Amino acid sequence: MKRPSLGSLTLNQKLALGALALGLLAVPARPYADARVTLDTRELAMLVEAEADHVTPLELADWIVQGRADHRLVDLRDQRSFAGYHIPTAENVPLSDLAAQRLPATETLVVYSDGGTHGAQAWLLLKARGLRAVYNLKGGLEGWKDEVLFPVFPVPPAPDKPEYERQASLSRHFGGTPRIGAEAAAAALALPTPQIQADPALAPALPGDVKPLAKKKKKEGC
Amino acid sequence: MSAPFFKFGLFGDEASLLVAFAIGIGFGFFLERAGFGSARKLVAQFYLTDLAVFKVMFTAIVTAMLGVTYLGWMGVLDLSQVYLVPTFLWPQIVGGLLLGVGFVVGGYCPGTSVAAIATGRVDAIVFGLGIFGGTLAFAEAFPLLQGFYASGAYGERTLPELLQLPYGLVVFAVVLMAVAGFWAAGKIEAAFGGKEDRA
Repeated sequence: MKRPSLGSLTLNQKLALGALALGLLAVPARPYADARVTLDTRELAMLVEAEADHVTPLELADWIVQGRADHRLVDLRDQRSFAGYHIPTAENVPLSDLAAQRLPATETLVVYSDGGTHGAQAWLLLKARGLRAVYNLKGGLEGWKDEVLFPVFPVPPAPDKPEYERQASLSRHFGGTPRIGAEAAAAALALPTPQIQADPALAPALPGDVKPLAKKKKKEGC
Repeated sequence: MSAPFFKFGLFGDEASLLVAFAIGIGFGFFLERAGFGSARKLVAQFYLTDLAVFKVMFTAIVTAMLGVTYLGWMGVLDLSQVYLVPTFLWPQIVGGLLLGVGFVVGGYCPGTSVAAIATGRVDAIVFGLGIFGGTLAFAEAFPLLQGFYASGAYGERTLPELLQLPYGLVVFAVVLMAVAGFWAAGKIEAAFGGKEDRA
């Protein structure tokens, strides 16, 4: 059969040839975003300097008590440590899983580990992956223990001091104990059981509403 | 600007309804223009006399696939944010067969029935009532169906993953398959068609 010239092809045949050409060109395609990312080092440095890369334990405690559902709290440690104790409302996602997960860029994550290190590294990885809002818990779990669970007050403060009351109630809310005096500060305290949840019925009256946590799941598909 | 726009926060939930509305209008327009508002043309598929549905579907698949591949390759589209329907093997096979039977008997599938209702076809309206009835029956029977409904769950699987082949190679293979399908469809239509009345 003699080959028809390109001009004598019907529109459909031309389209088919075009599709075949595009398909052939697509063979080396790697359209899924790789594990390789590009970093905007200036933006990241600015965020760190502006302290916009972390939240303090007290801020996080407030968010949990207020029942805010606009963020996910992620515990980066292994399962055993997580089962031993974790911050209420946290999910256990080890660092390697987090790097592999598909996360919508609009998610807000707060990450923590034992100290601040893995949290900071996770912050960098997630920022590099394009997540808009990621925060490291300042000081990690150690910071949580020091500032929320077992806050230290060197001298017994005046009972009408609002700051003391607030921090003390926060501490008790999460099952901790405020420590007053230098000797008490030296004592190592046992961590509360991990079952302590932000229970509105049991919580003492705290500034701000205590609403039950509602996880909003984005519905997709048919 | 990164796509999918919704996942990157370009518009919120309310605006997404408007976007869906606009896309829906476009979808119905193209269905009607392809002649899929007519039950006769749709059912001719199954009698192998007019394979337009097959051709239109595969044209859409190839266009979308090539578009998504190139946009993802260029980095404009974040493919990992695109929703994939998870695989539930047995329920999806059974559901597909049921849909096929309904398609031949009723003469429409869900999208084309709505396009036909828009042009005032009575049989499409009856078909639409059937959709509501079926949905209601399914919802009421759901406690019984629940076990089967969730069986065969394999999560979100893609062909390149399943076949352990590079992504681009699968793309080319699908294009090849589609073009071969069009050529075969032409041959089949010539063999079986011809005397069918135009609707």
